Amino acid sequence: MQIDEALIFRLEQLTRLELDDAERQELLHDLNHILELVEQMNSLDTTDVAPLAYVNAASTPLRNDVVGPQATPEQALRDAPRAADNCFKVPKVIDL
Amino acid sequence: MVQGYETVIGLEVHLQLNTRSKAFCADDASFGGAPNTRVSAISLGHPGTLPMPNRAHVAYAVRLGLALGCHINLVSTFDRKNYFYADLPKGYQITQDKQPICSGGALDIRIGSGVRKVRIHHIHIEEDAGKSIHDQLPDASLIDLNRAGVPLLEIVTEPDLRSAEEVDAFMSAMRRLARYLDISDGNMEQGSMRCDVNVSVRRRGQHTYGTRCEIKNLNSMRFARRAIEYEAGRQIALVESGQVVEQNTLHFDPQTGTTSPLRSKEEAHDYRYFPDPDLPPLVLDTAFIESIRSQMPPLPEEVYRRFTEEYGLSNYDAALLAEEKSVALYFIELCQHTPHTKAAANLVINKLLPWRDENQADLHSFPIGLPALTELLQLIADNQISNSAAYQRLWPALLVEPGQSPAALAQSMDLLQTSDAEFIIALIDQVLAAHPGKVSEFRKGKKGLQGFFMGELMRLSQGKADPKTATAMLLQKLQAL
Repeated sequence: MQIDEALIFRLEQLTRLELDDAERQELLHDLNHILELVEQMNSLDTTDVAPLAYVNAASTPLRNDVVGPQATPEQALRDAPRAADNCFKVPKVIDL
Repeated sequence: MVQGYETVIGLEVHLQLNTRSKAFCADDASFGGAPNTRVSAISLGHPGTLPMPNRAHVAYAVRLGLALGCHINLVSTFDRKNYFYADLPKGYQITQDKQPICSGGALDIRIGSGVRKVRIHHIHIEEDAGKSIHDQLPDASLIDLNRAGVPLLEIVTEPDLRSAEEVDAFMSAMRRLARYLDISDGNMEQGSMRCDVNVSVRRRGQHTYGTRCEIKNLNSMRFARRAIEYEAGRQIALVESGQVVEQNTLHFDPQTGTTSPLRSKEEAHDYRYFPDPDLPPLVLDTAFIESIRSQMPPLPEEVYRRFTEEYGLSNYDAALLAEEKSVALYFIELCQHTPHTKAAANLVINKLLPWRDENQADLHSFPIGLPALTELLQLIADNQISNSAAYQRLWPALLVEPGQSPAALAQSMDLLQTSDAEFIIALIDQVLAAHPGKVSEFRKGKKGLQGFFMGELMRLSQGKADPKTATAMLLQKLQAL
């Protein structure tokens, strides 16, 4: 697989990032390098190796179902660019 | 609908669970609350926070999985489903894409008098998004994140459903099961159960499936029915006119009753699922699963079968009494004390359920206790009191004095029936003597008058003659005339 400019544009859209031309070329270069590494790994025979989703601990710890400390609306909204009626205020987008 | 077509439907049902805390953090997960009061750094998606799964969420998934006969996967993994929307603070939803907690299984649904098995593809654990409020401000939307991170189970079916009616039956059965298992109230109006519906059509007899469209976020059965019927009709019209159905995500507009594409193909969502690096795999041991299995409540289907097969109830009565677990368990308890199951069913349906609906109370707090109800049913079964005297006269008196024994109260009210021969013969003689004209008509062959004599007899006895004995004795007397 080869990363081209069209794919970079699509990724920009999906990640809501806006890159300038120089950044775009740099990213194109980096991502293609990463893919080359993956290609190399693909050449290994992994027939008898189970897929690995996570490299560290064997399993997740679980929480007991108990309600703990929560933030106040003031704390929750402190970093919000816009707020109203104790809610985050965002541009109107109706898409389900 | 055009003849010769079959509608094929698969569902993705989202069940919001009634745990105390959220799926991956300790915020209060209950419904409601003032905006943004049930939030924390984790549910707000702040950097540097780590999610930790809720044991009850996992246990509920296993409970539902066991009830549906699913395979419980000892190892399952968490993935991120990435998309941008203002009510999704992290920019992704934690879900299980590759290895869900439960696979396979089935739910039985009742259509008319038949039972259909709807296969379950899998059940996975995930979290809910927050709530967008679009109608408060003219130029902006408001976001309340109380619901962000509330635990969900998504139940994905195989494409085994064939009509809106079957979808309705499936959703009702799922809600009933969730309530029996006490994992969710399954209330569609409050959003604790929602479904996405995948619809395709094909000509009857065709084995491959047509191209499907997904109708998103249906939050009432009424809308789901209309949406499915409209969408099936739309697809059939396309096929009939030689056009093709395009795979699409659709929105149903209840105002117009039509479906329309949510987004065009170019913008189609690319969720870029990948394993969540914050969450190691979920590993269950068999002891955990067995401890849940050992605490399983009776299931609605088992209860229904017991009511029809063991208790001999009609399908209708069985369904009514099996609808809610608390009613079903109460009825089972009653039937452990009395062999008169059908009379007990009538008593519960006609007298106790209306009381419960009116008082919003548990049947166990009904003023007349189980021993007295049992005694009453026995009095009726033994013909000691007529059904009408029992319910029209004794019942109101019992409600006034619920501590009284029904037999004693019936005695003191002079309601007990008698099969005493002398008493009944005296009544028969009295009736025949009062109607000499009818007696001679009867002799000339107007046999239908027997009913008239019987009615007179019962009236004279003030309902106290045992009708069985009285009928037999009257017949004997009339034949001897």
